[in-house]
Amino acid sequence: MKDSCFSDKNIALKHLLDKYDVDCSGVISEQEIPEQHSASLKIGNTENVLLPWRMERRFMELKVLVENGTLENISTLRFCNISSAKTATLDKLIYREMDLCEWIGGTRVKSLFAVFSEASAANIIIKLQNGMSCSVECSVMLPEGAKPVDRHEIIAERGVASDRVVDTQVPQSSIYTFTNNGSECFTDTDAEIFGLDTDSVNQTRAAFKVLSEPETMKEWNQQDSRLRQLVDAAKKSGRLEQVIHCNDGEKSL
Amino acid sequence: MKPIKIAIMSLTHGHTRKYYQTLKDNPKLNWMAVCADNEEVRDVFESGNHGVPCYMSSEEMFDRHPEIEAVVLASANIEHLQQIEQCAKRGLHILSMKIPTFDMDEYDRMIEIVDKAGVVCQVELEMHYNPVVHRLKKLIKDGEIGKILSIQATNITLSPVWAFPWQGVPEDSYGKRVPLRDGDHRFRGGALCDHPHIFDLIRWLTESDIDFVFSDVAPNIRPELEVEDMLLVNGKMKDGTIFLLDPSWSRMEERLKVPGPGWEVFPKRMEVNLTISGDKGALIVDCFGPNVYHNGGPNDRYTVQYTYFDEWIGLIDEFVDCVRNGKQPKINLKWHRQSIAAMNKCYDSIQQNQPVHL
Repeated sequence: MKDSCFSDKNIALKHLLDKYDVDCSGVISEQEIPEQHSASLKIGNTENVLLPWRMERRFMELKVLVENGTLENISTLRFCNISSAKTATLDKLIYREMDLCEWIGGTRVKSLFAVFSEASAANIIIKLQNGMSCSVECSVMLPEGAKPVDRHEIIAERGVASDRVVDTQVPQSSIYTFTNNGSECFTDTDAEIFGLDTDSVNQTRAAFKVLSEPETMKEWNQQDSRLRQLVDAAKKSGRLEQVIHCNDGEKSL
Repeated sequence: MKPIKIAIMSLTHGHTRKYYQTLKDNPKLNWMAVCADNEEVRDVFESGNHGVPCYMSSEEMFDRHPEIEAVVLASANIEHLQQIEQCAKRGLHILSMKIPTFDMDEYDRMIEIVDKAGVVCQVELEMHYNPVVHRLKKLIKDGEIGKILSIQATNITLSPVWAFPWQGVPEDSYGKRVPLRDGDHRFRGGALCDHPHIFDLIRWLTESDIDFVFSDVAPNIRPELEVEDMLLVNGKMKDGTIFLLDPSWSRMEERLKVPGPGWEVFPKRMEVNLTISGDKGALIVDCFGPNVYHNGGPNDRYTVQYTYFDEWIGLIDEFVDCVRNGKQPKINLKWHRQSIAAMNKCYDSIQQNQPVHL
């Protein structure tokens, strides 16, 4: 077998579609549209939202730990995501973390209370419909060029799970190099579409899921609408300094 | 491409459960049947409700399923020669476990049998399909750290002997009962026999062969085993690269008969880490990290929940490509022979307390 190294996510997507005989096609957005909070997949003339983080193995495994009973009687989700304003907006970070709360928590947001420091930072406390509490801490105040830092911790009556190893504060990598040019780190997570960075791998895998399991498209597009409303609800909460109740469905947000 | 009709023999190897999932999920494979080594193994298999017929005799399985094209030899090392002969006679392609045999005459006989039958025999060394190893290989090829001077590598795990007892029986694992050295009550066939990956990796990364090895066996951390569980190896490649390897069972385990959640006592049950120094720099590698972590059920211990990419996708891609297109797998018997020879020399070194050249 010839080893492939991909640098373009749409070429990688075509490789997967061909390999698994999926008779559909689409184009992953190369540049994110400013008002969009996530990457998208254009099928024909229609833009479809992708929720790429749902394809990331660390989140999939955290969800497994919740669903298979490894953790019992979950109390609280503590999520954090800080980035640079050059690579993300605050809305985008909140959008992702809200989705992770609902997806890993296995239910919808019931209410939330948010505090904002303008468009730079937000701290949100969320109540899910199943009674779990969540804290979501987002900021875009990292300097340009800094790698994003995130952390996801699940606290239960039996067990704590996290995507960060104990006694560390920043994400770890698989490989660290130390040369006269300085140090670099690498984390490769997918041998099938090797060469892409983690975000591009996730977007490619998400696009492949949408094309090979078309029911995902509707689900994710609906969730996109909901998440936009949740982001708006957080902003409204911050503006009014009030708890926003979301449990009556999307219209009440 | 037409899926390959495949079966599994014996079901006693530590990777057997991985094959259940792979043979079910991979669209390039059509899982036809299995044959079990014994009734206990059959009962465990059948409790999994895999929907695949299980036979107690390989002959019966092959006779009932003449459509089978390939076989996974998921058996004790002692069974491999006889099973390769049986498969080759029927013209079946072979996916061999990581140790074909430690008997070098037997090994050469296997090469001869496979060549004569014209079947594919791919050795299962899954690290070749690991994305972190792909990056490592690329960094070295691109000259990031210059010429390699030194490699330190671990392939350390828990011991599988409680679930797969043959791995603690010298004859079944090593092929015969050979004392480690004079005055030592232990025999060849333990942790070293379970961990060929780093011997293979240092050859693959340096594109050189091993020149000599020195190996020291330490006191067992499981004193009741009659095979070694802790050892160290160092030596030099023919291109001058020095190396230090740890192929031990240094991570303690719960003594489960069927592996599952809670198997590990130490949080990370399996590790392949490397430190490589070159003339332009150095790099450190964790082939199975980072992951996610928890201290939930069943034992409330801090535990690594692995997130690494499924290496069996690439492994099966290569196997199917070789079978369907008449190609030679890169990890074939001839390639792997040097690694097995080097592992044998490690045992010789332990016996002699001297470095041993290949």
